[in-house]
Amino acid sequence: MAARPRLGVFKLASCDGCQLTLLDLEDELLAIAAAVDIVHFPEASSDMDPHGRFDLTLVEGSVSTPAQLDELRAIRAQSRTLVAIGACATAGGVQALRNFADHREYVRAVYATPAYIETLAQVTPIAAHVRVDFELRGCPIDKGQLLELISATLVGRRPDIADESVCMACKRAGQVCVTVAHGQPCLGPVTHAGCGALCPRFSRGCFGCYGPRERANTEALADHMQAEGVSAASLVRRFRLFTGWSEAFRAESERHDD
Amino acid sequence: MSARLTHDGFRRLLEQVREAGYALVGPTISDGAIVYGPIAGADDLPIGWTDEQAPGRYRLRERGDRAHFGYVLGPQGPRRQLTPPVETLVRIRLGPRREQGPRTPEGVEAADEDGEPLALIGLRACELAAMAVQDAVWTGGPFVDPRYARRRERALIIAVDCLEPGELCFCVSTNTGPGVEAGASFDLRLTELGEEFLVEVGSERGQALIDGLGELAEPSTAQLFAARTQGVLAAAMELHGRERQLDLDGLPELLFANLDHPRWDELAARCLSCGSCTLVCPTCFCHRVEERAPLDAPTSERVRHWDSCFTDEHSRIHGAQFRPQIRERYRQWMTHKLGAWVSQFGTSGCVGCGRCIAWCPVGIDITEEVAAIRAAPVAPDDAEPVALPPATTVPALAGDPMHPQLARVVSVREELREVVTLAVEPVGVFSHAPGQFNMLGLPDVGEVPISISGQAGGELLHTIRAVGAASRALVALEAGDRLTLRGPFGSAWPLAELRGHNVVVIAGGLGLAPLRGALREMVAHPERYPSVRLLYGARSPEELLFADEILSWDRSIRFAPTTAPAVLESGHVKVHVTVDGAAPGWTGHVGVVTKLMRRKPLSAHARYLVCGPEIMIRFVLRELETIGVAQDQVWLSMERNMKCAVGMCGRCQYGPHFICKDGPVFRWDAIAGLLGREGF
Amino acid sequence: MTTEEERDHKQPPSAVELGADERVYKVEMLARVEGEGRFWLRLDAAGEVADAKLAIFEAPRFFEAFLRGRDLEEVPDIVARICGICPVAYQMGAVRALERILGVDPPSPGIRSLRRLLYCGEWIESHVLHVFMLHAPDFLGYESAIEMAADHRARVEQGLRLKKVGNAIIEVLGGRAIHPVSPKVGGFSRTPTVAELAALRPRLEAALEEAEAVVEWSAGLPMPALELDYVFVSLASEDYPIEFGDEVLVRGRGRDERVDVDEFLDHFVEDHVAHSNALQCRLRDGTPYLVGPMARLNLFADRLHPRAARALERSGLALPVRNPYQSIIVRAVEVVHAFATALDIVTNYTRRVEPAFVELPPAGARAGRASGGTEAPRGLCWHRYETDAEGLIVDARIVPPTSQNQARIERDLVGLAPQLLAMDHGAATRRCEQLIRAYDPCISCATHFLKLEIERG
Repeated sequence: MAARPRLGVFKLASCDGCQLTLLDLEDELLAIAAAVDIVHFPEASSDMDPHGRFDLTLVEGSVSTPAQLDELRAIRAQSRTLVAIGACATAGGVQALRNFADHREYVRAVYATPAYIETLAQVTPIAAHVRVDFELRGCPIDKGQLLELISATLVGRRPDIADESVCMACKRAGQVCVTVAHGQPCLGPVTHAGCGALCPRFSRGCFGCYGPRERANTEALADHMQAEGVSAASLVRRFRLFTGWSEAFRAESERHDD
Repeated sequence: MSARLTHDGFRRLLEQVREAGYALVGPTISDGAIVYGPIAGADDLPIGWTDEQAPGRYRLRERGDRAHFGYVLGPQGPRRQLTPPVETLVRIRLGPRREQGPRTPEGVEAADEDGEPLALIGLRACELAAMAVQDAVWTGGPFVDPRYARRRERALIIAVDCLEPGELCFCVSTNTGPGVEAGASFDLRLTELGEEFLVEVGSERGQALIDGLGELAEPSTAQLFAARTQGVLAAAMELHGRERQLDLDGLPELLFANLDHPRWDELAARCLSCGSCTLVCPTCFCHRVEERAPLDAPTSERVRHWDSCFTDEHSRIHGAQFRPQIRERYRQWMTHKLGAWVSQFGTSGCVGCGRCIAWCPVGIDITEEVAAIRAAPVAPDDAEPVALPPATTVPALAGDPMHPQLARVVSVREELREVVTLAVEPVGVFSHAPGQFNMLGLPDVGEVPISISGQAGGELLHTIRAVGAASRALVALEAGDRLTLRGPFGSAWPLAELRGHNVVVIAGGLGLAPLRGALREMVAHPERYPSVRLLYGARSPEELLFADEILSWDRSIRFAPTTAPAVLESGHVKVHVTVDGAAPGWTGHVGVVTKLMRRKPLSAHARYLVCGPEIMIRFVLRELETIGVAQDQVWLSMERNMKCAVGMCGRCQYGPHFICKDGPVFRWDAIAGLLGREGF
Repeated sequence: MTTEEERDHKQPPSAVELGADERVYKVEMLARVEGEGRFWLRLDAAGEVADAKLAIFEAPRFFEAFLRGRDLEEVPDIVARICGICPVAYQMGAVRALERILGVDPPSPGIRSLRRLLYCGEWIESHVLHVFMLHAPDFLGYESAIEMAADHRARVEQGLRLKKVGNAIIEVLGGRAIHPVSPKVGGFSRTPTVAELAALRPRLEAALEEAEAVVEWSAGLPMPALELDYVFVSLASEDYPIEFGDEVLVRGRGRDERVDVDEFLDHFVEDHVAHSNALQCRLRDGTPYLVGPMARLNLFADRLHPRAARALERSGLALPVRNPYQSIIVRAVEVVHAFATALDIVTNYTRRVEPAFVELPPAGARAGRASGGTEAPRGLCWHRYETDAEGLIVDARIVPPTSQNQARIERDLVGLAPQLLAMDHGAATRRCEQLIRAYDPCISCATHFLKLEIERG
């Protein structure tokens, strides 16, 4: 048998939740470890080899420091298939909210003890810096999708992960629409599916943690929400959350931010 | 036969249904809506509740009485029960994991899990109409989905008349309500009149249930009948008087004549393309078929789940997205639902239930959109009318069309770089007509449609280029490997119709593969086909497919770089070859196939078969038009996103056609109005 | 921006800096912890500790800055993102503090009980992850649990199984194990049905028995000897402290002190030190202290669930525990406590908690300032918020457990140093690493509270 594909797991600025998802695959973890050679996964193993070649690299987190940028470029150079996992890696994550402060030129950031830390002016998703072969969305990612990603990569196909609205999953689940039946604002129609319509199933509107889907008509949704009484300030906050730095959500939040 | 039931009688009726072994599915309150779900009995019904509906809005309200069916419609109809949103079609036993690439199949098992039969309680007239539409989709054509058929056949249906139509109902427009007509498919029909029910029996099963009630089923009375008639009439009158109507008259033609109406753009600005309308629609049927092959599991599953023409993936095939814009997606939905549906299934896809209006998160009203187009139609002058053909019939395939057989690869022939011909040996007798295709698949990667490029004895030939994961995996197979095979599917080249005619075959690139079977037939039978000419274009000399075989058909042709391209008349077959570009030394034609056409005398009276990239087809047709070839002399083969291959998944729709079932071979006039039009 | 001079603070001393006969134990990238950190321990020629540092280089994320201006109802979702391992801890701390501002604390006994259940799920998930996947490999001599599975497959599978039950609790209540979506100020967006919780019961019963056996197994692990003197700090509650409590108990130096959570910052101080992107917390007089399972057990062993108390007794662990390596046993005991508590809550759940949340005062009447503490798996997690009338956050302060333990970890390394001289260098380094891991440090959490001040420029 040929050598097993080599898996690396790396983290940039993040909460560790997405890589934890790998350890949360309780039923499959040992099978995964048999099918791939986990050569670098500091959260799980002290046997680290960050310098080798990786057949599959999972990168969690966004780029917020110069050191991370260097690290990311090195990781890319070593990786055959590089997958960005989670909202931080694919859209900047919650920490990218500080970009909006920088973005408005009238403010300037000053740290308590600035000499002790270094950061980049903007927090960015990894695709802003290197080629990304696939983006696994979500804050956090879904473990079923992670398993599908690994399974698909092992046989050389693209993961079967549909870029469709949360509404699709919501309707398949037979969930009653929280907007139509309860008047709750919900970003589901413009948000990438993958969570299994979790928030509607828990009686609340989607807050967009998987980021925008393709053809996200945020403008139509925002206009409708505004007509239903959602304030402009609230619209800004809604679009400006864990995936607020994604292009579609950023543009929409800026449209309502004076 | 009819009867009269009190609330107690009705309660007992449901108990009896339960005792007869049915799982009760009825309206019940869940998460602030009345939905169809499992119920234990009459107590779980939304007694005393009603719903208020408006575009993008639904609310429950207490009625102040004890009405059992005093509401209108919940978010989803019984479609959910009859075609579950996620359903396993077959299970495939897997071979061992290999060093590279997908595992091969070792056995296929049906996945049917026969649970208790369902008793569907409370269905309205529009829902019965929707069920009839779904019957046509799943069981009415040449292929029958056994899962749907079985559930449908076993289901007991207790229907209810609508005497209080909802705010969004327009079933009178679509002639699907409000009363449940005597001919509709039900076992029992209830009319709720105050504190009692009038029950009409619609089947023997229904009769037995009424008989089983004994004295609880009282004789019906003339007053009750009169009350029902009056109630239904009053409801119908009320609906007639409403502003919200859907005028079905000439609607398919109107919509297909207005594919460039500005209203589509205006709609696209409001539509979220979330797909909600399609998944609450009781007649929509689009689905995806997905391969689920988890790590180290002993079996993989082919699973279908609800899809929508509003998703990106719906109309995507490797490298192309046919409906990228929201305007195109909404237009696809509406022209299908209200237009193409009629030619496909003999009925409109709309039953007037209003669900797509209520459950659209931004309240888009389909009746308003239709009215706007009807009020100011703008048929562009140069637009070819889109023909709405009668539903086509292809040879029926017995058994479950989704259940593949395990075929064996006999040999693999490398044709070109990344192109191979798999000779596959199916199980049992297999007959096909040239032009048809098979679904070939592997458990880890799923299925792809591959045309049959010939048959040699018991072996079927499939010429495949490695473009996506599935085709790459198929190309990598070796002799002795097994794969899943379903087919043959689709329409064929009209070989019988071509007899006695001069035939010109125009092919581009791998487009020669679907034509090879037909060419072989014509080459072998000069007595039937007096003259056959093949005009074949490829990207480069290295990309010429079946070069040896082409040479054998026409000994005069030499396209090796060293030989002069003289074409000598010999035999009834002539072959002309061109390449887009070639290294120095190539002495054959250079240029696209249409350039070649211009160099050759082509008859306006010949019959033409065309296959290749869609852009090539369009240029070829333009050329043929110039020559004066009539549309009924030309056949061409089309490609879209085919998943089920039997016209059920809805993904390969091309205007009124399913490419998989009505095509892939079409006569030009059938699709002339659509060719080259964006969004189809 | 960083100066070269500063950058050195987060790096261990290089070989050229070392004097003759000095030695340094260091790990550049701590594994099997959450987040990014390194340590070094430098001993001089006489074997005296010259320097002991836990350097945290994880990138800071400035949560307190972007909480400002957000609606208070968004806070539970936002603070969950501080940590993927213990999101519930942050959500619960936030709702406590905010509900105290709004005067709806606690919303109802039913909601409080479901919150405890949710929190038990997180304790289980986090502790089991640590005991089996992160810490046990140190005791048994493996690089990872996956490697350990080659020889101890059943044990690793047991860990995964127990962790899964912890996650299942969170999933039933909150939809997903990481960043659950249902917790909200005032309650939950949705409470579980009786049937949903009842379905957990057989799994909890089975897991509880297994967890009891895990205590005995952990007590039998080869245990390095070390006895240190600590100041123990934990939230105090009428029960073994988890999700509730308004006082902090400080025990050490021969006395007990009780601190009102609203006065937390009067007794504990946070400092930004050069070698760490996390703030370090100490008592006001500069003494490092310890929070987490060992502190909780030493202070409140009498309040353990009887099943956990019996498991503790059977383990033979003597109280107070002063050997940090034994924290693996303490965690195992707390896992029993969490399973037993969860089982009780599930068993007593005979009516769905409704309403799922209480109405909050309307916008216009939401101004205030209050603190809230809970016991995260790793220890006391303290929040304080100030809101304006509209309910927008004016100021937020969060003190996570690992920044409180940071100074204590360095002190522990100093305490360990004398033993190391007799060991070979590799073994000594691993012993240091094992000690740090005994704290289950959550570096991701610890770094996210640097202040970011926005100034008009």
